[in-house]
Amino acid sequence: MSLAAIFTVAISLSLVGSALLIKQGVSTATAEWKGNVQLLVFLQPKISPTEFTAVKDQLRQLPAVKSFSYVPRAQAYADFRRLLANQPDLVNAVPESAVPTFLRVSLVNPAETRAVAAIFQGQPGVDTVNDNFSAINTITTVSNVAQTVILAIAVILLVSAAVLILNVIRVAIFSRRREVAVMRLVGATNSFIQIPFMLEGLVQGLIGALVATGVVILVKSFIGYAISHFKMHLLQGFVLTSHNLIDTIAVIVVAGVVVGTLGSTIAVRRFLSA
Amino acid sequence: MIKFENVSKSYSKGSPAVKDVSFEIDRGEFVFLIGASGSGKTTLIRLMVREEKPDEGTIWVAGKNLVTMPSWKVPHFRRNVGVIFQDFRLLPNKTVAQNVAFALQVIGKPNRFIATQVPQILRLVGLEDKMDRFPHQLSGGEQQRVAIARAFVNRPLILLADEPTGNLDPETSWGVMNLLERINRTGTAVVMATHDVGIVDSMRRRVIEIDDGRLSRDQVRGVYGLGV
Repeated sequence: MSLAAIFTVAISLSLVGSALLIKQGVSTATAEWKGNVQLLVFLQPKISPTEFTAVKDQLRQLPAVKSFSYVPRAQAYADFRRLLANQPDLVNAVPESAVPTFLRVSLVNPAETRAVAAIFQGQPGVDTVNDNFSAINTITTVSNVAQTVILAIAVILLVSAAVLILNVIRVAIFSRRREVAVMRLVGATNSFIQIPFMLEGLVQGLIGALVATGVVILVKSFIGYAISHFKMHLLQGFVLTSHNLIDTIAVIVVAGVVVGTLGSTIAVRRFLSA
Repeated sequence: MIKFENVSKSYSKGSPAVKDVSFEIDRGEFVFLIGASGSGKTTLIRLMVREEKPDEGTIWVAGKNLVTMPSWKVPHFRRNVGVIFQDFRLLPNKTVAQNVAFALQVIGKPNRFIATQVPQILRLVGLEDKMDRFPHQLSGGEQQRVAIARAFVNRPLILLADEPTGNLDPETSWGVMNLLERINRTGTAVVMATHDVGIVDSMRRRVIEIDDGRLSRDQVRGVYGLGV
């Protein structure tokens, strides 16, 4: 049993698993951010009740709209004071009557933000529509790039892990080449020679994968702890479900077994050819 | 038993080549394969166990055409041919008995069979009292006898020996030769590559001489030198 092979599998798969876990976290966080994106439809101070009803009816009928709520002046003013609490001069200069009322609109699909905003822009009684479209766009792009980069890193790690493992197994088998040579000499079949090496590779891959599983579980709980403990609001959406964890562990175990078995098969085959 | 028909084999990296060699060795014969170092003796042995395939010609061993034999059949073919080498090729971490037993285990013989065969063959080679020694605790001659036991435990039809006395002093060499002769008397054909003049001259067996890859002499009761 080669300790070096087990360590190599364990370390490589820990890195791969952690990368996959982080990728899943980024994906969930992005979905969360997108889901929270809202459209603010600011109303003119002198909006007539019929115009107000017309806007609300339209919001109700649009399939792209998930929900909406009306923010009355008192609450809008309170929010305004709270958000700008560190600028008392500005807050004191604006009377409550100058604060516009608005409708807070959540959409089914954040990608439709711009289209929905266009519908209400210039509608009678509507002042402006704050659509945050560029912000969503940036978040989506950053998230896509981040996920692609992490996935690429995971794939590169997996490939280099496979090469590394193959080499370690090759060295292990090289040290037993005398035994293999004698087996060939006396007429042992190739499968007879290969199967013990394959089983050994399988067991080593499996043990390495189990160690890596432990590491990934630790990484997951550490991320969860760090986010809740340091109150990183921006990362609040960075939630790793046990489903994510099970997926990652499945990938690790399969990769470990496949790489271990295949690696030793390829490595021993080199001594069997000729 | 062994038949070479116009066999040629060359290597790109300058190993000794074999050029248009033909000969035939019958069941139960004892044949010396002689020639200078690098003349192609080892290549002939490697061709006989299909470690190599010839570039041209046909090779028959134990009734099988080695040129057309698919590689998956090679292991079963090799069970009919025992091979020993100058450097013995024993496994250092196994005892004498384990080294011999290993050869039977890896071709799937049952343990009960192995338990009876191993002491029997070690008695034949005169090592029954050293079954539990490790190779490094034995003399060169004793190690070669373990190797012979391993090659012969499966009762092959052919025993190939590549310079089996090359690392041994003359006295020990004779012990090994006596053993090979006894094995030959059981009906196993023995082909021995050597350049030990004394052994070849006094045994008076068939001699096949290879000179620079070509067969230069095939004599029924030959000696090493050219004269009779």
